Order: sequence, then structure tokens, then C-alpha cells
Amino acid sequence: MDLKEQQGADVSFNSDSQDYTVQTPEQVVLNGSHAVIRSLLAEGVETIFGYPGGAIMPVYDAIYDYQDKISHILVRHEQGAGHAAEGYARLSGKVGVCLVTSGPGATNLVTAIADAIIDSTPMVCIIGQVAKHLLGTDAFQETDVMGVTMPITKWNYQITSADEVPGIMAKAFYIAKSGRPGPVLIDITKNAQNEMMSGPFEYKPCSSMVSYRPRLVPKQEQLEKAAALINSAKKPFLFVGHGVQISGAEEILLKFLQKTGIPCASTLLGLSSVAVDHPLYMGWLGMHGNYGTNVLTNQCDLIIGVGLRFDDRVTGDVSRYAKQAKIVHIEIDPAEIDKIVKADAPVVGDAKAALEMLLPLVEPASHTEWVAEFAKYAEMEDRLITQPELSANSEKIKMAEVIRGLSDKTEGQAVVVADVGQHQMMTARYYQFKHPNSFITSGGLGTMGYALPAAFGAKVGDPERDVYAFIGDGCFQMTIQELGTIAQSGLPVKIIILNNNFLGMVRQWQQLFHEKRYSFVELQNPDFITIAKGFGIDGHTCVKREDLSQSLDKLIASDKPYVLEVLVEKEENVFPMVPSGACVSDIRLQ
Amino acid sequence: MSKPIPSSNGTTYTICVFTENTIGLLNKITILFSRRRINIESLTVSETERKGVSRFTIVIQHEIREEVEKLVRQIRKTIEVLTVFGYLNEEVIYNEIAMFKISTLSGAKPLDIEVINKIYKAWVVFWGLDYVVIEKTGSINEIFDFFNYIKPYGILEFVRSGRVAVSKSSKSLTDYLPEAEWEYYL
Ligand SMILES: Cc1ncc(C[n+]2csc(CCOP(=O)(O)OP(=O)(O)O)c2C)c(N)n1
Ligand SMILES: [Mg+2]
Repeated sequence: MDLKEQQGADVSFNSDSQDYTVQTPEQVVLNGSHAVIRSLLAEGVETIFGYPGGAIMPVYDAIYDYQDKISHILVRHEQGAGHAAEGYARLSGKVGVCLVTSGPGATNLVTAIADAIIDSTPMVCIIGQVAKHLLGTDAFQETDVMGVTMPITKWNYQITSADEVPGIMAKAFYIAKSGRPGPVLIDITKNAQNEMMSGPFEYKPCSSMVSYRPRLVPKQEQLEKAAALINSAKKPFLFVGHGVQISGAEEILLKFLQKTGIPCASTLLGLSSVAVDHPLYMGWLGMHGNYGTNVLTNQCDLIIGVGLRFDDRVTGDVSRYAKQAKIVHIEIDPAEIDKIVKADAPVVGDAKAALEMLLPLVEPASHTEWVAEFAKYAEMEDRLITQPELSANSEKIKMAEVIRGLSDKTEGQAVVVADVGQHQMMTARYYQFKHPNSFITSGGLGTMGYALPAAFGAKVGDPERDVYAFIGDGCFQMTIQELGTIAQSGLPVKIIILNNNFLGMVRQWQQLFHEKRYSFVELQNPDFITIAKGFGIDGHTCVKREDLSQSLDKLIASDKPYVLEVLVEKEENVFPMVPSGACVSDIRLQ
Repeated sequence: MSKPIPSSNGTTYTICVFTENTIGLLNKITILFSRRRINIESLTVSETERKGVSRFTIVIQHEIREEVEKLVRQIRKTIEVLTVFGYLNEEVIYNEIAMFKISTLSGAKPLDIEVINKIYKAWVVFWGLDYVVIEKTGSINEIFDFFNYIKPYGILEFVRSGRVAVSKSSKSLTDYLPEAEWEYYL
């Protein structure tokens, strides 16, 4: 988050003489719909992901006039619009914008909104609503979207008159992107879209609110307390959370690591913030994280959590989690402090600002012996899990080989999007991230079907970067229709289906914890490549190990979207694993 | 049998929430309680001395102080919420009001107004043809003492307002938000 005050966007518009406007000598009066689009332009929005319908038609009519200034991408399902906006926001750092109709359009978006709030993703969703006089009458396609989305939005608001539009849009963007980012929903009644504003359109970006004041700059005394703990620790361990990437703290974090010599590990959403080959990067944390990082969590004497929320997939059994350690918790959301893990030194503020201010307060140190302790666990994990996975001579290809293969060929520089399941955990394990801001996945909600639209949105958000999506055979069928959106855009999104013919993650749990009672986890899958081709996207299936390298080359070389399906080992398990309810140091290697 | 004072387990907390006065805010706040399965004992809302600023007084019982503190922080996160305070009973002056509709049909036991006024500090605020409405302000204990006294006369209806409370701190609300910002609401 940039600490400088948001500069006011340039909002001077040439007055034009479209039908929708009432021209007076010196000013233009707009209707609510045009005010919505003008507000988006004033916020610098370039892309909207949307799907039209009755209650949002006036806004769609307005966009028609602005096609040269704003790009609207027609998805195939509103959930796709939501995840695309999330992927867009996660990669570009800008606010993702969705535009959908009332009722079913809005409810289809709900999953993505819930996903965005738990993964702190900035999004503004503009939803059509029935006219004000029809509210509460069970009118056609009326859903109480305000009621439905209250618990899953950072803020929601219903606009019922055109005059409210610019002020509320400005607030919506400010709230979505500032502090801990999140989704904002604006429900706009049809009359408000149609009616004329009572005065000229004026847009003032919002940069502060009385009732919402995120603290960016931490308090000096909190920093000093944290620094004292850091300076006296013998076995400190730094955890890199999603907040590092959100605040753009990657560089200052490296300086901090270098000065303090403190080893670090990453949460799922923190992955790629520190390159895997950094000498102080020890791996990732949690249920399927690395062996040493989990075991040594219960041996370190200080945890410095940066921009994270100690999710239960990270902590395992909290009552046996790092009880020996003191905790420094750097976090922008004060409600996260002491929520799961009690902080000895809370630091409320933006991660980047906090690290910048902390850096001069910490003493140069090296923790060579402590860092060396990780090595023996890493060696064991490598010998017992990683190497066998990567050099298998099984009949079927293993997920790990595919992911590491792509990792090597892209030199760890690609943007990687993973869906939800075994393939997600395998991607996190085997892709060797060397470039910051490169991993996008649904962490908190674990939303199957996230990856295809999110990868597309990411590619829109930064067309310069190569985007690859690893998707399970189950997940792919949840949002498969977005192949149509990708085909229509022509953007070269690269899709790898890791097909094990199973809802693999659920099958793994059934095998390990339900005596192999495989209850509704086997899939009879369609021919994915034929489907892709039906959408106009080329692709092929890779069955044999000796074809894998060439298959990946073909996928990488394509300048169009491409689907590579790899038939992988059916009953493979993800290890290491902290079984749910176990403590992190009881992590299993098999 | 005398009516016991309603109570559940745990300590009583009074949570005062100051908010902008917008539609739906009551929902936004109460879903934070229901999601955490915290039962609301009483809730009152009114506009404060500042136009456009509402004050919620919410009473809950809870066994674990940390959970209440977490709840307070979650409430504070709600965008339209200006500020939130959580208090123990000893940190606030609080009261409620109760109304009793008492039957005065012929043959009923005649009311002893003097006792009602002088002993119980309760007042008849409405004389109907065959009933009266008595208003009693006080603590829950006082209200239930009076409840037990008046019960034999025949209670037709009984209602409590729920708690209103002000903190014992000598600070005014403006100490928590700079005066300049309050002007926003004038
Ligand atoms: C929408 C949704 N429904 C159900 C689940 C539960 N779930 C988690 S992983 C998984 C299996 C995913 O299967 P697949 O995409 O084939 O991936 P695999 O685990 O086989 O790699 C399921 C059903 C979920 N996370 N999201
Ligand atoms: Mg599968």
C-alpha cells in the first residue's frame, strides 16, 4: 500500500452531446448509469468483467458509448466474472470490477465475493437491482443482495438515486483497496440507473472517511517492543504472509532478512514473495508445507508473523502451536491480533511501512547454527518425498514431475495459478518461485473452479507475464465454460489439467482417515481436449513420461490459449501432511 | 413463586457501538454476534447528542473475556462503525425501564398506590377503564422486586426496555473522535 495520500484522479471530462445528457451551457447532466461509468473512468478502471441482464441494462446501455475507453469482458457465468476480477486484482494490484444483474446474477457472484473477502482481494461489484418502488415486493429477479452479502463484503451499499452515484463509487474504491483490501458491493436500483442527476457530474476520489481509518504507519512503541524481542531472540523465525505481497514489501523484507539473518517460511498465499533459492528461505508452512518449517515452528523462540492471520491450516492444533515462542505479529487488520495466536508484540500497520520502520531498530545478526537446523529436515524430506516423486518410474506420470518440469522450463518466472485440491498443494510444493507476485490460488475459501477464470483475469491484469493454471479434473468442470471467455479474448492463458480421475484431495482423506471408504470421489470425465477444441482452444493429452517434456514445450510455445491434459497417477497422496487436529510438529512424512 | 432474574452463564458485558445512521447497520452488527453464537440479552438503539450518530447498547453474557474482546474488534471493523466500547457492569451507569399492565377489574385486589410510589418508586402512567399501566425505572433487580410485588394483582402485559448505559469515564464522546470530524455530522 502506498503511504502517500492518494492523488486525486484527473476527472475533467469533455462535455459531449449524447442523447442521455441534458446539455446546459457550461455543464453536462448525466443519468445514473453514465455516472457509474464516468466514476469507473475517474478511478482509472480499464477493465470490467461482467454479464448483462434486465436490472443492469441501463448501465450496459451506457457502456456501449465508452467502449474505446473501458474494456468490458463478457464472461460465461457470473462466478467467472468474480474470480476473473480476483485474479486481475491479485496480479495487477488494482481493484477488480464486476458488473452483473440482480437476482441470479448477483447470487452467482456470491462465491467469488466470499472468496475475495477471506483472501483480502480488492474488488468492486456493481449489481443491478429492481426499481426502488418494487423493493420488497418479490419483483422479478429481486433478491435481497444487501442481506445476502452483508457478512461477506468489506462494505455494501444500496444506491437508490442517481445523485448518490459519484460519492458512493468513490467510497467503494477507497474502501476496497485501502487498509486490508476486500470486496465492496454496490447494489444499484434500476430507477437510479435511469434517472438524471440533479446537478452536473463531479467526481472527487475518496481518501479518508470518519468511520473507517486503517492504520498504515505503526506506532513507534509497538515497533520498539518488537525490535527488542527480535534483537534478543536466539532462534527467530519469520513468517511471510499474503500481506507482504499486498503491501509490496518484498524488497524491504529481503533487506530485513539480510540484516537480521533470520530464516523465513511462507504461508500458502505468501508464496513467491521470497525466492525459493534465497539462503534464508526455508519453505512453506502448514498442513502440506515443508517438514522442517513445521517441526521447527515448535522449537523456535520467536515468530515474526508479517501480514498473515494464523489460519488453522497453518497452525494445526492451536493449543500445541509454538507455545515455547514469543510472537511478533505485524498486521494491518487489528481484528487479527490475538484472534488465533496471542501476540507478545503486536504491530498494527502496513507490512511495508512496518518493516521499513523496523529495519533501523534491529541489530545486524546471523543465526548460522539455527538456520543449519533446517537442513537436516530438508534433506530428509528431499530423500523420502521429493526425490521419489520427481524420479518415479511408475507407469503413470506424477503431478510433481509436471509441475517441476514447467518450473524448470519457465525458470520459476511464470505466474502460476492453482485450483483447489491435491494439484494445488503439489503446485505450491513443486513450482520453484523465483519472481515475486507469481502465485495465485484460493487459499482461505478453497474454492474449486477458481483457477480458470482467475488465470484469465490475471492475464488481463498483466498481459506481459506468462500465466499458467494448474487445474484438477474435478475443479475444471466447475467453471469450464470460461474457456469460452478465454477463446473470445484470444489471450494466451496456458492451462494444465492434472487429471487423476478423482476428487483426489477428498479421496486422500478417505484413504487416510476413513479406511479407504471411497465415497463419491471417482469421476467419469469427459474428453477435455475435445471440449477445449469445441471452444476453439487447441490442446492435447500427455499420457507417457517420455512425452512430457515435449508436451510442456508445446504448451509454452503456443501464442494462443492452450490446454494440456496430463493423465497422472490416480491414487497418489500429498505429503508431508499435518492431519487435521494434529500439531504442526507431528507432521507426517507418509 | 418469585420470578428469577434472567441470567445465563458468564459475566455481563455492555457493548456500546457508535455508528453512522444508515439502513441495514443493525443487521451488519447483529450478524457478528449470531455468527459467533453469542446471544444478545438486550439491544437498544437511539440517536446520540450528535445528529446522524446512533448509539447501540448491547448486553451479552460471556464466560471468556478474550472472546468478547475479539467480538469488539470485529464490530469495530464494520465500515460505518465509528467506535466501540466494551464495559463490565462496574464501569457503567446503567438502567432500564419496565412497563406493567395491571388488571383493575372489579373484584380484583385494589392497588396500593402509596407502596408503589414510595417503596418501589414506580408510577402509574395510564389509567384505563379496567387496567392501569405502571412504569418502573431501575436496575433489573429493582424491576424484578417490583415484578414479584405486583404479580398477585394480575399482570396483563410486562415489557422491559433493555439496558441503556453511559460509561463512568469523565471523557465525552468527542474525546474519542476529534471535534472537527464530529462536525461532519452536524
Ligand atoms: C466448490 C467446492 N466444492 C467442494 C470442495 C471440496 N474439495 C476440496 S478438494 C476437492 C477435490 C478436487 O478435485 P480435483 O479438482 O480433481 O483435484 P485433485 O485433488 O484431484 O488434484 C474437493 C471436492 C471445494 N473445495 N470446493
Ligand atoms: Mg482430480
